[in-house]
Amino acid sequence: MNKNKEKLLAKRYSSEKRFQFLGKSAIFMALLFLAFFIFKIFSTGYTAFQKTWLIVPVNFDAETMYLDANPSKEDLEDADYFEISLQSMFNLDKNANEKQQNELKKMVSYFFEREIKQELINDPSLLGKTKDVYITASDDLDQVFKGNYPRDLPEKQRRVTDYQLKIFDQLVEQGKVESKFNLSFFTYPDSREAELAGIASSFMGSIFSILVCLAIAFPVAVLAAIYLEEFAPKNRFTDFIEVNINNLAAVPSIVFGLLGLGILLAVFQLPRSTPLVGGITLSLMTLPTIIIACRASLKAVPPSIREAALAMGASRMQTTMHHTVPLSMPGTLSGTIIGLAQALGETAPLILIGMVAFVNTIPGSPMDPAASLPVQIYIWAESAERGFVEKVSACIMVLLGFLIVMNLFAQIIRHKFEKKWS
Amino acid sequence: MIKISAKNVDVFYGKKQALFNINLEIEENQVTALIGPSGCGKSTFLRCLNRMNDVIDICKVQGEIVINDFNINDKGCDVVRLREKIGMVFQKPNPFPKTLYENISYGPTIHGMAQSKQEMDEIVEISLKKAALWEEVKDRLHEPGTGLSGGQQQRLCIARAISVQPEVILMDEPCSALDPIATAQIEELIDELKKEHTIIIVTHSMAQAARVSQNTGFFHLGELIEHGSTDKIFKNPENNKTQDYITGRFG
Repeated sequence: MNKNKEKLLAKRYSSEKRFQFLGKSAIFMALLFLAFFIFKIFSTGYTAFQKTWLIVPVNFDAETMYLDANPSKEDLEDADYFEISLQSMFNLDKNANEKQQNELKKMVSYFFEREIKQELINDPSLLGKTKDVYITASDDLDQVFKGNYPRDLPEKQRRVTDYQLKIFDQLVEQGKVESKFNLSFFTYPDSREAELAGIASSFMGSIFSILVCLAIAFPVAVLAAIYLEEFAPKNRFTDFIEVNINNLAAVPSIVFGLLGLGILLAVFQLPRSTPLVGGITLSLMTLPTIIIACRASLKAVPPSIREAALAMGASRMQTTMHHTVPLSMPGTLSGTIIGLAQALGETAPLILIGMVAFVNTIPGSPMDPAASLPVQIYIWAESAERGFVEKVSACIMVLLGFLIVMNLFAQIIRHKFEKKWS
Repeated sequence: MIKISAKNVDVFYGKKQALFNINLEIEENQVTALIGPSGCGKSTFLRCLNRMNDVIDICKVQGEIVINDFNINDKGCDVVRLREKIGMVFQKPNPFPKTLYENISYGPTIHGMAQSKQEMDEIVEISLKKAALWEEVKDRLHEPGTGLSGGQQQRLCIARAISVQPEVILMDEPCSALDPIATAQIEELIDELKKEHTIIIVTHSMAQAARVSQNTGFFHLGELIEHGSTDKIFKNPENNKTQDYITGRFG
């Protein structure tokens, strides 16, 4: 009898140990995957925050630009920079033949003319002088400089020619190639050229979408939740509504996209590809999340508080507005932020309502066409150029950073403002 | 003087009947104790008196409860007005998670009893003094009410209840969560309060009923078995069940 008991006890202890071991290994596995994922993204993406510049001497020759000695501001704006820009690239190799000259031109981004123009507009005294100008290198050379480009491939399989590599190596030797922080990644809209592509358009698109989503989903969801939780009679009909709200939370997001396409675009004729439509579509998705969070935190308010208020002669409305709702707000807000974070990462519905279009302007309002961060990731991941690979990872980093900040905010609200019930 | 009279009160929770034909009269400015074993319906009856049972969807109350010549179960009865006249103190102290001051001023605010900040300050002070809490908390009126001890919280709840000058105060086992010292303080307070208010107290402790009340009603299985003056109920009960309960043979 006693022996049996000891055996049983040993069994109970060992089963607890086994369970703890399994739990720990599960956590370890999860952390391992996460670490691998983050490492992969960072190791691919961190180079996107640097950009390669060629330092090229430019001769700001007034005659070539059809300018007189003392040009006005408008004259500078209207001047012809193409010739001097082209000439400064050709000057990198004075003996280049026509084909090679063409290759020389392709060593920098097609933006080079504008970069040179900006230089003169910033400092008109340069007219007639020669100055070293920073010019964005082409994305292929950018990748070569970052070491992401295999140089040992046969020339035909490369986008960089042997001649370009030769000139580039000469420039590197002379210290005429520099890597600097890639500000344009944050300030430029999308571009077909990897070296000029930035997230400004999609970032603003995401912000506008989220704001529209918040403005619609929050009031509707909170009112619905308060009514259902505090006022609605508990009967079959409200049970039915509750089941449907829970179902709505489980509907695949692409279905909401179709809804947006079919109703907002087709019936209401709202402008395509805009954060307005994106935000409305996302708000449909976020609605059930906020309703569920709000109802849960209303439920968590102890009934004794409601009774106390009612017994003081407060009406139901006063009880709800003075006591229950304020007490439930921390939970509601953190649920809202988590719902918005979900919406922020949503891609499928936005693709359906056309936010996947190539947008190379920065939206100034929710009515302007824009992409969004996750859709931008999708667009870049589809692009063939090597320069977009690091951009995809960098964009993921920005999106993750955004999400982490939002979730942190939700946590802070929850911890700081939630009342503790003794 | 009769303050409240209940006539033929039946209460149902769904299909289950919780109170059977209760007839009880409650004297003004006296303490009436309702005693009985758990689940006997004494709290249910108490909650009928300020219609707190309205909150429970499945609960149905029948019969007449007349307060000041007015049947509160009438359709025309306004529960907000009714609860202004009939305050309630609950089993577990339930101060609002706000400051002490806000706890007391809440009732007077929603019923528009104070015209100025000064009047409100007065109401808060008087209520706390009546609840014998003023001396302990006068320096921290703007600290959260949930930071007080259990006994202080319960006295805060009493102060909150009397802030709107109710005619009747219902107390639902107000001392069951408190230690003996806090209980003694509350009992002393009840004695003081009965000068201005009619008090009905539900209690599990027969000793407490004997100490604080002038009248006692004994409930058992949803029926009012016996009621009368506390002296008579405890010393010379008519019903055997009452006898058995107060002598501790069941319950």
